[in-house]
Amino acid sequence: MSFGLEFKKVKRTGFMLAFLSGGVLAAIVPILNMLVRSENYVGFDDSPVQILMNANWQMMSMLNILLVVASACLVYHIEYTDNAIQRMCTLPIKESKIFFGKVALMAVMCLVILLMEAAALAFCSYYWFELSTDIWMEVIKSFAYALLLIFPAVLCSLVIASACRNMWVSLGVGVVCVFIATMIPTKNFILSLFPFALPFQILSGTTENILRNYMIAAVIEILILGIVEVLFLKVRRSFE
Amino acid sequence: MNIIETKNLTKTYGDFTAVSGLNLHIPKGSVYGFLGPNGAGKSTTMKMLLGLTKPTSGSFVIDGKKYPENRVQILKEVGSFIEAPAFYGNLTGEENLDIVRKILGLPKSAVSEALELVGLTQYKGRLAKKYSLGMKQRLGLASALIGKPPILILDEPTNGLDPVGIHEIRTLIRSLPQKFDCTVFVSSHLLSEIELMADYIGILNHGYLLFEGTLDELKIHGTKEGYPTDNLEDTFLALIDADNRQRGGVR
Repeated sequence: MSFGLEFKKVKRTGFMLAFLSGGVLAAIVPILNMLVRSENYVGFDDSPVQILMNANWQMMSMLNILLVVASACLVYHIEYTDNAIQRMCTLPIKESKIFFGKVALMAVMCLVILLMEAAALAFCSYYWFELSTDIWMEVIKSFAYALLLIFPAVLCSLVIASACRNMWVSLGVGVVCVFIATMIPTKNFILSLFPFALPFQILSGTTENILRNYMIAAVIEILILGIVEVLFLKVRRSFE
Repeated sequence: MNIIETKNLTKTYGDFTAVSGLNLHIPKGSVYGFLGPNGAGKSTTMKMLLGLTKPTSGSFVIDGKKYPENRVQILKEVGSFIEAPAFYGNLTGEENLDIVRKILGLPKSAVSEALELVGLTQYKGRLAKKYSLGMKQRLGLASALIGKPPILILDEPTNGLDPVGIHEIRTLIRSLPQKFDCTVFVSSHLLSEIELMADYIGILNHGYLLFEGTLDELKIHGTKEGYPTDNLEDTFLALIDADNRQRGGVR
């Protein structure tokens, strides 16, 4: 029910349009890159997905994270701007349920944009490289991994947005986090555990051990951020 | 039988006490007017009853259910309107009510009934952010009234309404206990307003309950204390003034 309600609440906010156009923009990145300088990439021995991800994922994931940050601000802005959250809190629904409804909405939208990006990558593989039968599995695995690693950023953005009644504050904090994440070297395991840096990781060409570590870290971060939000809501109520 | 009872309900913010040892007794099926000047603690009390603010100490029971153990159960039975209308500006009046309806698990017809009750049917398709202040107030009331809850907590519900609107809402509130068998707990800083709709009144000043009872009992109390009783507004003002003087001239 929470997902349906949250979906209804974002009507006319430009949330869907922002996500879809952001997804299109990120999906265009590998296509444009290949259109302009395909000769730089087609000669390598690696798999097409690995080549394309190495060449484009930094830009694509940064667009994804910026989109997540802006959308998180938007979904909480509608709660705070006309004090709708107060009415919600006087209804028989837990505030944490509203938060997790928003998480579900953002997760679905992330899945949509990642599917668009996966389709763009598959197109590039087909058009500029030889499309082998196992490429689909590689694309699916890569984007499932990307989806898991973007969840901590989704939760972290929503935690920040729920804490700040002023959208500009949460947007500012989110953008600063994104820029910090871009400065973190992707090879450094500890530093890249920063929730906004995790989505920059790529599945292709990474050892199984590191992949497992990143996936475990993402799940732990998701759990921690979920618990932090529930505790934060309880503590905030005590001070209101 | 009291549907709402508070026991030594207190709320402090640092060294400021907003509500102090409040003992309210709100009889079932009545309109209970909660009076007090601005900053007396009316909204804080209502927020505590709705779980929006955690009491510093004390407790309360609503329809036999204790807070905080039965918070969700309590909220299922209470329709509320606190301070200013709260709504999603990007949604229409009808869509706003539909969200509340879904959370409460009410049938679809509940939305049109609530809109009809407050006279907003004509404007149901307009975006809430484009409503006038009076229309926003009505939307807030519709949101409180949707599903005809057995208890209504209304904080200054006629704020921002024109005289015709005030009269309409006042008549509506007055008729609710008979129409829907509900209890209304309504606050205002105007005795003249409460006088026209309440069966019982509670007068709050600086977080302390100065009086609780019927209007006739207030008159008797006023006569006993030597306050003017020709006009209830004067009795109320004299009561507040005497309390302020007792507290060292704090207004």
